[in-house]
This record gives sequence, C-alpha cells and structure tokens, in this order.
Amino acid sequence: MVIMLKRKMFRDIRKNLSQFITIFLMIMIGIMAYSGIKAYMDGMSKTSDKFYSENNLFDLNVMGLLNHDDLNKIKEIDNVKDAELKLSVTATTDNDKTLLLNFIESNNISKFYVFDGIDFDYNKSGVWLDNFYAKENNIKVGDVILVKYETMQLHEKVLGLVNVPDHLYDTRDESELYPDRKEFGFAYMSTKEITEDYIKSLVMKQLNINDEQDLDMMIPDFDYKDYIPFSSIMVDVKNTKNRKEVKEKIEDNVENAKAIINREDTTSYITYQGEIDEGKTYVGVFSGIFLFIAMLSVITTMTRVVKNQRVQIGTLKALGFSNNKILFHYIGYGFWISIIASIVGLILGYYIIGNVFINLEMDFFEIPNGHPAMNISSYYISIAVILVVSIITYITGRSILRENPAETLRKKIPTIKGTALNITKKGFFKKLSFSSKWNVRDILRNRMRTFMGLAGVVGCCALIVCALGMLDSMNFFVKLQFEDLYNFDYKLNLKENLSSNELQLIYDQYGSNTSKILGIEIKDKNGNRESNNILVTDANDYLRFVDNKNKIKEKPTDDGVYVTYKLASTKGYKLGDKITWHIYGDNTYYTSKIVGFNKDPQNQNISMTRNYLESLKIEYKPDSLYTNNDLSKIKEIKNVETIQDINSLKEGMTGMLSMMKTMLVLIISIAVLLGGIIIYNLGILSYTEKEYQFSTLKVLGFDDKQIENIFIKQNNWIAVLSIIIGLPLGFYLTDWLFKTAIEEHYDFGASITLRTYIISAIGTFLVSYLVSKFLSKKIKKIDMVSSLKGNE
Amino acid sequence: MNKFIELKNVKKTYKIGEQKFNALDGIDLSIDQGEFVVILGPSGAGKSTLLNLLGGMDKATSGSIIIGENDLVKFNDKQLTKFRANDVGFIFQFYNIMPTLTVDENVNLIKDVTNTTKDSKDVLKSVGLLKHASKFPQELSGGEQQRVSIARAIMKNPKVLLCDEPTGALDSKTGVEVLKLLRKQSDEDTTVIIVTHNALIADIADRVIKIKNGKVESNIINKHPKNIDEVKW
Repeated sequence: MVIMLKRKMFRDIRKNLSQFITIFLMIMIGIMAYSGIKAYMDGMSKTSDKFYSENNLFDLNVMGLLNHDDLNKIKEIDNVKDAELKLSVTATTDNDKTLLLNFIESNNISKFYVFDGIDFDYNKSGVWLDNFYAKENNIKVGDVILVKYETMQLHEKVLGLVNVPDHLYDTRDESELYPDRKEFGFAYMSTKEITEDYIKSLVMKQLNINDEQDLDMMIPDFDYKDYIPFSSIMVDVKNTKNRKEVKEKIEDNVENAKAIINREDTTSYITYQGEIDEGKTYVGVFSGIFLFIAMLSVITTMTRVVKNQRVQIGTLKALGFSNNKILFHYIGYGFWISIIASIVGLILGYYIIGNVFINLEMDFFEIPNGHPAMNISSYYISIAVILVVSIITYITGRSILRENPAETLRKKIPTIKGTALNITKKGFFKKLSFSSKWNVRDILRNRMRTFMGLAGVVGCCALIVCALGMLDSMNFFVKLQFEDLYNFDYKLNLKENLSSNELQLIYDQYGSNTSKILGIEIKDKNGNRESNNILVTDANDYLRFVDNKNKIKEKPTDDGVYVTYKLASTKGYKLGDKITWHIYGDNTYYTSKIVGFNKDPQNQNISMTRNYLESLKIEYKPDSLYTNNDLSKIKEIKNVETIQDINSLKEGMTGMLSMMKTMLVLIISIAVLLGGIIIYNLGILSYTEKEYQFSTLKVLGFDDKQIENIFIKQNNWIAVLSIIIGLPLGFYLTDWLFKTAIEEHYDFGASITLRTYIISAIGTFLVSYLVSKFLSKKIKKIDMVSSLKGNE
Repeated sequence: MNKFIELKNVKKTYKIGEQKFNALDGIDLSIDQGEFVVILGPSGAGKSTLLNLLGGMDKATSGSIIIGENDLVKFNDKQLTKFRANDVGFIFQFYNIMPTLTVDENVNLIKDVTNTTKDSKDVLKSVGLLKHASKFPQELSGGEQQRVSIARAIMKNPKVLLCDEPTGALDSKTGVEVLKLLRKQSDEDTTVIIVTHNALIADIADRVIKIKNGKVESNIINKHPKNIDEVKW
C-alpha cells in the first residue's frame, strides 16, 4: 500500500478509535468465545484419546465369576492381543471411607498413570491409590492405610498415586452424580495381597463345609490363587474392527461370561464422552450466537465506516486514484483490525476460556495432563471472519466506487420511498409526540441499522435467559429427583446374595421398602440386542413415578412394564406394545406388555413392580433399601455395603451445579459484555449519523434534555422490543439445548423461573439505558457551528 | 493560441423516474491553452456538470469533449482515471482535503498516483504554506485549507485546473489571495477554469462563458482582463 494512504488509514482509525475499538472487541470476543470453547472441547477429546491409547484402556470388559481357565480361553481367541483378570469389590477404610478395591495380576491393560510412586509390580506388597482420593484425604506415598473387606483386614503401604483410564469418573452408585472424592475412591493391589484364609472361607462356604481338613481332603493340592473369584476380564483386541467377532466368540466359548461390555458402554467412558458431546452443542450454540451477533454488528459498523468516507472516496477518485487502489485502502481498515482481533481472540480463547473450562473438568474427571487443544476450525473461523469483514468493506467500497466521482463527492442521504413514511402521518402515528414521530421516521430511514441493533440485543438477552435458565432447570431437576421421585431419607446399598434371614433382619429394623436393578438386554423385531436395565420396585411410596408434566403418578400396577417417555419416543414404543428381554447371565427371554409411561430425568429404562417380576417366576433379590429412620449416627450396618444420605446425594448434585455455575457465569459475562459493546457501538453509529440533526435542533432552540430524550427514546424502544423477542427465544434455546445437547440418558427440558425472566429483562434494559445515557452526554458538547459546517 | 479544449454538442441527460432532464443541452465551446476562464451562470444552469465532464468525473451522454489530444467521451473508466491522475487538478468549494493527513502529506498524496510531480516544498512555498506543512487541516483557516487544495492540485503539474466555486466559502481578502494563486498558474501556461456564480471574478478572466439552462449563452474573450487588485469585491 502506498505510504500516504497507509498513514491516512492509521489516522482514520485513530480518529474513529472508539468505533474501531468496538469492532476489535466484538471480533475478539466472538473469536475468543468460539475458539476457547472449542479448545476446551477438543482438549477434552484429545486428552482422553491420548490417555486411553497410551494407557491402553480395555476394548471389552467381560463380567461374571471368572477364573484362569476363562482367561486362557479368551487369550486363545483370534485377534485377542491380551487379557487380564480383575477382582473388584467395595471395601471400606479404617475411617469409614469407601474404596472400589481391585485385585490384579498384571497391569498391561488399563495401565496406571503414576503421579507419584512406582509402577504396578505383582510381587510388591502395597496399594496403588486413586490420586484424587489421596489428595482429598491427604494420603502420601509411603503412608500405610487399612482396607477392610469382609474378613480381610489389610494394612497396606501406599506404593503409588495413580489415574486409571477406566476410572475417569467413579461414583459409589448410580444415584450419585457427582463423585465425592473425600468419601470414595479406587485402589489397586496385587492378587498376592488377598489372604488365603479369605479364599479358603469362600470355597468352604461354596462347598458347604466347615472344617479346613475336609477342604484338604476334597481338594488335596489346594492353591488359593486358583480359587480367586475374579469379577472381570479386561480384553485388549488387536484390531477394534474385530471386536464384535471377538465378543461373539467369548459369548460362545466362555460359559462364565455373564455380560460383555464395550469400552464405550462403561459409565466412566459414557460420562466423559457425554460431557464432550454436550460441550460440542455449546460450541455450536453459545459461541455460534456470540460470533453471529458480533459479526452482525461488525458488518453494520464497517459498512457505516466506509460509507462515512464517501466524500473522501470521491476526492481520491477525483485525484486520479484507481478503484483498486481505493478499494485496497479501505479493505485494509477491516482487514488489519480483524486480523489483530482474531489473533488476540485465539490467544485469549485458548488461555482464558479453554484453560478455565478444562481445569473445571479436570477437577471432575480423573485424567492426567488435561490441556485445551487449539482446533483447526478456530483458525478457519478466524480466516472466515477476516474474509467476511474484508469482503463487506470491499462490497461497500465498491458500491460507492460504482457511482461516478462527481456523484460520490455529494453526501448521500438515506433514501426511503415517500410512501413508506406516509404511515407516520396517519392514525395513531399522527397523535405521537414530535420525538416519537422523529424516531419512527429515523427507524424507517435506517432500517438496516435498527435491525442489526435489534438482532444484537435480542441475541444477548436470549443468551442471558438461556444461561440463567439452565441453572433454573437444573435446580428444578434436583427438586424433582430428590424431593418428588426419591421420597426417603436414607438409601442402604445391600450386599449381594444375602439370605432370606439376613434380609429379614434388616427389614425388621429399617422396613422392607426395597428395589432391585436388573441388567437386561432388549431384543427388537429384527433380532438386534441392546443393553438397558429394569428397576424392580417394592419401595411403595419411597420411590415415586411422575408423568410428563412432572405430576406424581398413582402406584404402578402389577400387569406389565413401565417405560420412560424418552426411551419410548426413541424406540417408538406405544402403550400396549410388547418388549422382549432377558436378564444378563440368563438366556431365558420374557415378553412384557407396556402398561404405562413415566418420566425419569436421569435414566431411560424400564420399571416394574416386584409382584410383576415374581409373576414371571423370577426371584426378587433387592439391592437397595429405603428408609426414613434416622441413621445420622450409624456408620455401619451388617450386610449393608454403603449407607447414603439423601442430603449427601443432593449435595453431590449441587457440587455439579456449582461447576456448571462457573461456566455459566463466564458465558453470561461474555453475553453482557458483548451486548453492552454492541449497544454502545450502534449507539455511536446512530449518534454520529444524527449529530447534524441534533445540532440543527439545538440551533432551533431545543434544550439538551429534549434532544437527549429523543436520542434515548429510540434505544429504549429497541431494547424493549429486543426483550420481548429475546425472553421467549431464550426459553426455546434452553429447551432445545436440554433436549438435544444433554446425554441420551437424561430427560429434562427448560424450566425457567419468573425471576430469571425479570433479571434478564431488567439487565438487558439497564445495559441499553446506561449506554444510551452515557452517549447522550455528547449532546451537551455539540459545537453547533463546526457540526453544521462539517456536514456541508 | 492553440485550441486546447473543444466541446461539440455535449449533452448530459439525467433520468429521474420516467422523466428525462437535460443538465447540459448541446454545449459547444473551445478554450485555449493557458487561458484563465470563468464559467458563470445561475444555480442549476449546468456549470458544475460541465466542470465534472471536463475533469473526467462524469460521462457525457453525447457529443465530444476534446482536451489536448484526448476525447473524453470515448474514454473508459480506466482511461478517465489515468486522465484525472496525470492531467487534471481539482479545487473544490469545500476543499475536500484529507482530514487525517497533514498539509505536507495531503500534497504528497499525489505522488501515489503520478510520477510527474513537482517538489512538495516548492509547491507549499508557492502557496505560502511551508510553515504549516506539518499541521492538520483542522488547525488551518478556510483560506489556508483552500491553499492546501490548490497546492495538491498543482503538485502534479496539471494541464488543466478545474475549480468549483474556489472562493465560495472564503472571505473576500482570502478569496483574492486564492485567485491570485490561480492566476499565477494560468500565467505559467496551465489552463484554469473556474466555475462560479460570482460575476465579479469575470473581470479578471481571459474568457467568460455564460451558461443558462444547459446551453452556452455567451462565450466572450476579455481583451483587457483586470488585475485582481483592481477589482472591488
């Protein structure tokens, strides 16, 4: 570019600094929001991909009561690279914390990521402990902890603090959503740590003998290691393409395999992936809207900036500058601003939004080395923004240059058909005050500017409603889940395989309101099978059902199954349809009629009563018991694995909400900031374009207050109209987000309180009003002579 | 004297809706090189349209406009741009100087469009603005701003200087100074054409062309142009 024009450009930018700063900020915030959220989402993806692949997360997890023979059978299957046995039990510590304790023989699949200490060693005596749990409980390598499981009391030295790829997300049970690391963690030990006595007692119980000598006689070469009741085998498949084939072969050859789960179907994987999928929608929605409204405003401003240079364009043309030279000069205005703003936006997006969001996630998920990752699409978006701004400048410049120079040298007044203004001379409009008429006509003359202003403020208002509305909806969900559906104070998670007598003892003390979750597989008409579960309830009013309008339903009947609305709509189930299913580990298929629907915000599954289950000749063995007894002082109950307080479940949820709050506060802040900038920017535009008229009014004797009223009135109208459109739009946006973005197993829509609407409306109006008020101060400073002269 | 500018039956028609309006309705005139010409006429007579056509800022609907060896009516946009860059200097009533460039930069701006420029210092000295070279336009008076406009116009050594009401926004004293500068250019063989409705300026012109209703009403050679200082403003 030629030197003088370059200087002219920099000086023009300096002269219109506030306008260019707002353009800069809008592009920067738009790009920052987009690239930041994208970097955070991609960071999540890449971090887990890296962790899963470097630490070799299993491809298949075979569940059942398994042994070395089963392991060998699996290892012999084609395409199986490796397989490892694992025994997982729920243990407690000396200070009543819960540990998911895993005994392993080797650690080549789902390998540890060691933060401190040593790698897994079969021959080493000690424990590898959950890094988060250790931190929360101030446990260090070298400390000794006591782990209790049934008759085993293990004093173990901590050998390492680790993360494991199948423990990104672990909760005590499915009713807990937010992991409580202080109370619950995972631990790994070598199977060598399992005591021989314990295994012996298990075997003797199985064989129904009481004397060890009998055992020696029945099994002369008894080696306890051969009798460890492993609960799973992790399988590493050579090529994931062959996974289905391997799965089928295991089903056929390994009798003890009760269920085979793909890595993608594990809770840890699903929850983490769900977070990424949710975030992907946020990227599309929040950052998309941010960018869109920012761009609308930038385009309007750039167009105006170039149009305001009309006479200078004409002069340059008269001086003999070629069209290309002039165009190149004006494209520079948008180009340089947008390129710098994009770079700053990319950097801030990565370091501020990306880092803040990913750090929040890394407090939730146990995964090492979480970093945001800059996505190539952020660069493409930045390039697109730069191109759009440059093209808009080009188009505007070109439309001026198309006119002949003589015409260009004349100021252009916004054109409007006389007939369009006629409306302001009739009926209702006739009765309007001067300032209202003036504003109606000004809006009609500057429809594009008005529309852009409207779109910007509507977008920001809707985003505020959406961000606050998401919080409202989550609060509503907590109330629904923990007050309407869960109608108990304590949940006891019962140990497996309790005898009737053992159960009766518990019933006598805490009541017999129980439930059971059955892992099932549903077979459709085409023979396709899909995992799900059935909640069998004998909990009376302690577990309640609600309808689609969140109203509590009558007690379920004993003549069939209930399906959640969302599952029914996904699968196309209708009332009276039949579902064919079997319990994992049992190949008997049952066909049940759908007798009702219920809404469950957390799980999309099937429910039935105990009576119905028993009518199918299936034994009912409860796994949970609900009570309202005061158990606040009770730490341990015989044959009960864990005691869960409804308040702690609720607190867990509140913990998750507080994480969400931090994100939403950031989003609201950006929305308010962007909204303020857009209003300020359009205010400057409209002020600049009206200054001449205002100075004329001043000459005619209008006082500053009257002129200020005229100016503020229009902005207030735009704000009010934006609020009227923005509030319902915010609701639909929230509802859409919940229905599409959230994980498949959730079912909740927007439930927004009046308070949110009021805050959003007042907030939007206040920002608009304050910005207008700030700008209207310029009216006092209008120099009538120079303003009128400058316009000649 | 050589005929430097020759217009033959030049028409300029504007369409306003269905109606046609002839801003210029068959102009015939000729101007010699180095002449100091004043075009007079009431508002709406077609003076500025004529000036725009002469400067290649607008295209005639028909006729021919010969300047030197060029027929502007036959020129395309590119040729017109080149013509404006090399051969014509414009001086506007409201100066149209770049507000964000200093005096010196405004004058040197011309170097971006043509190579045949004078030395900017000499030019600024000739219009008496050398001491203001580093000032921005808003720091100057109206007369000084108009002199910047003149300096910019003569910087390229134009064949013809076109001035649209160059003294229209100035007081009489400043106006005289500006006219003196323009006369000086004409004395140095640059053809100067001034469009104005100030009849007093006609007394100092070599040729006075009166326009009315888009036609030449008269084209008179002033055999004894007055010295600018003799004119009573």
